[in-house]
Amino acid sequence: MRILELASRNLKETYRDPLALGFLLGFPLLFMLLFGAMFGGDTVPHYPVGVIDEDNTPLSQAFVNDALAKVEVFKLSTYNDTNAAFDDLKLGDLRAYVVIPQGFGEEVSQNWQGKETNIVLQMTYDESDIQVSQQLISIMNTVTRSFARIEIPVTINANPIHIETKITYVDFIAPGIIIFGLLIMIPTSARIMVRDKEKGVLSRLLTTPTSPVDFISGYSLCLVAIAIAQIIIFMAIAWGFGMDYVGSVWLAFLIFFLTGLCSIGIGMVIASLSKSENQAEPLCWLFSMPLAMLSGCWFSIDMLPSYLKTIASAFPYAHAISASRGVITRGVGLAGVSSDFLFLVVWTVAVFIIGVILFRRSMRS
Amino acid sequence: MSSNLAPPAREKDDTFAIQTFQLTRLFGSLVAVDGIELNIKKGELFALLGPNGAGKTTTINMLCCLLKPTAGTATIMGYDINQQPFKIKEIIGVSPQETTISEHLNAQEHLNLIGRIHNINAKELKSRSQKLLETMGLAERAKDQVRKYSGGMKRRLNIMMALIHNPEVIFLDEPTLGLDPQARRAIWDYILQLKGEKTILLTTHYMDEADSLSDRIGIMDEGKIVALGTSRELRMRVVEKRTMIIYAWNLTQKVINEMQSKYAEVKVSDGTMLITDKQLDFKTVVDQLHSLGAMVRSAYFKEPTLDEVFLQITGKELRE
Repeated sequence: MRILELASRNLKETYRDPLALGFLLGFPLLFMLLFGAMFGGDTVPHYPVGVIDEDNTPLSQAFVNDALAKVEVFKLSTYNDTNAAFDDLKLGDLRAYVVIPQGFGEEVSQNWQGKETNIVLQMTYDESDIQVSQQLISIMNTVTRSFARIEIPVTINANPIHIETKITYVDFIAPGIIIFGLLIMIPTSARIMVRDKEKGVLSRLLTTPTSPVDFISGYSLCLVAIAIAQIIIFMAIAWGFGMDYVGSVWLAFLIFFLTGLCSIGIGMVIASLSKSENQAEPLCWLFSMPLAMLSGCWFSIDMLPSYLKTIASAFPYAHAISASRGVITRGVGLAGVSSDFLFLVVWTVAVFIIGVILFRRSMRS
Repeated sequence: MSSNLAPPAREKDDTFAIQTFQLTRLFGSLVAVDGIELNIKKGELFALLGPNGAGKTTTINMLCCLLKPTAGTATIMGYDINQQPFKIKEIIGVSPQETTISEHLNAQEHLNLIGRIHNINAKELKSRSQKLLETMGLAERAKDQVRKYSGGMKRRLNIMMALIHNPEVIFLDEPTLGLDPQARRAIWDYILQLKGEKTILLTTHYMDEADSLSDRIGIMDEGKIVALGTSRELRMRVVEKRTMIIYAWNLTQKVINEMQSKYAEVKVSDGTMLITDKQLDFKTVVDQLHSLGAMVRSAYFKEPTLDEVFLQITGKELRE
């Protein structure tokens, strides 16, 4: 098999080069460790949040005591009426308060019985600090969804309620950081291909009966192996720093894998368009850094102006982040992320087709 | 360049391994290869000789289907380079000018890669690569990564990669460029072993390389084939004056004066006489010397060098 031969040659060329290997595996490792040290340790921010339980059912109480109270980021205090909470918010003693309206328990129990019902919470927050308020909304959203989603037997009291209790900052930010790591596959894959082109290895092999598809597949297989290694490192370290996989680990992996594949394809297109490493490298960074920012690798993009959001959502990475966050922190299944998932698939297929076409054209000038 | 860029209708011939038909390549306004016509026979070792920038590599790259001709075409074993590039790639072996190999793979892995790309089975591949590694003197270093090799070793590996799949036509682009004399000699020896068995097109800007290896030489300059023939034919073609060198006893002043009156240029030093003229007949000269009382011990014609041929044809000297 020509493809396997080419792939194994590409892999050998990569893993036998200590510098290249160091960059490919060491960089994500270092990156995740650094990020973990920054956000995963004891320095979890604590935000004072007030709760007014107007429902006052066993379920709403369980929600307050077993779910909200265990969110590390929240320093919870209960209020009897909204006025007192509102005063404290104005004074700055609270960052936000949430009202659990009547009917909450009923809505949750219907969800548990498989009937999808909309759950309404009222949250009032201090919007002066955009980042914190976004984070609070996101965490509240996550906790509530994960609470309402859980299936328990009919008698509530007989079973302790097991829910995701520790929504930490890591849970919120880790998927974005992992996607950023995979975005970096763009320069990586472009570099591997352009290097061969620049050094003439490619034209050497082009005097053999190797087809463009053979070449693309050979490079892709090698890069896919690298991507898988990187994803495993990312996911393991994030887990080590306290990121909980509420949903399927495999689904999360699949989303990351598709994202990696898409990056490989984009890298390939850039490589086909550039003549040298010196051309490809800046082109890749010019493309990937703004995209990382726009896609919400480091912060939520909810606060972006809508035209920037539109731009971001035209690229696969914002979708990848939203889907992986959904699966990891809220336990969303494949059906829940299907549109993001489909978007990733379409992008991946498209860039590979464009890659093959451009590569074929550059084969014989 | 030629004004007519359309490929002319010329009969394709079975006895030829490589044929070019007004093969032309432009890079922008630069005419790199200017409508060349070549017929290289099966089993022939043909050298394209010319200075840097003459268009040799561009010609090879077109024949290997790496570059598309701007006009004209060529056939390799009857396959057209524009129509059937993949057929051609299956039957050619190429050793490019730059030693383009993977630094982190060893020699064995390089040979395996090319071999498997050509679908050679494992057993066959093993025996062939073993034989090649031994012949080219790389067997002991076969498992070392290529980045530890010397320039000569890399070039030898490059040539081996062109041969591992037993191709019918071999292209060697400057096979000994930048090598020391010993390494060049080793590569020449190997190329000479292949002579007659394979059709080989090699490019070089070394006169001695073209001279000692090839059956025929095409002198290339500014994209054109300016002279074509065997080494001897080329030398003879350009010779206007010939020089005869005679070692003799008893070369008296009388003998010298007499000979000077007969020929355009006669020089004597240390018992050696050099006679240069347009018309020189070996037997006549020897008889004349004998009749004048000189004792000829040995005599021969000085052959013109290919350097002289090149200088005379192109008006330039080949750069080493």
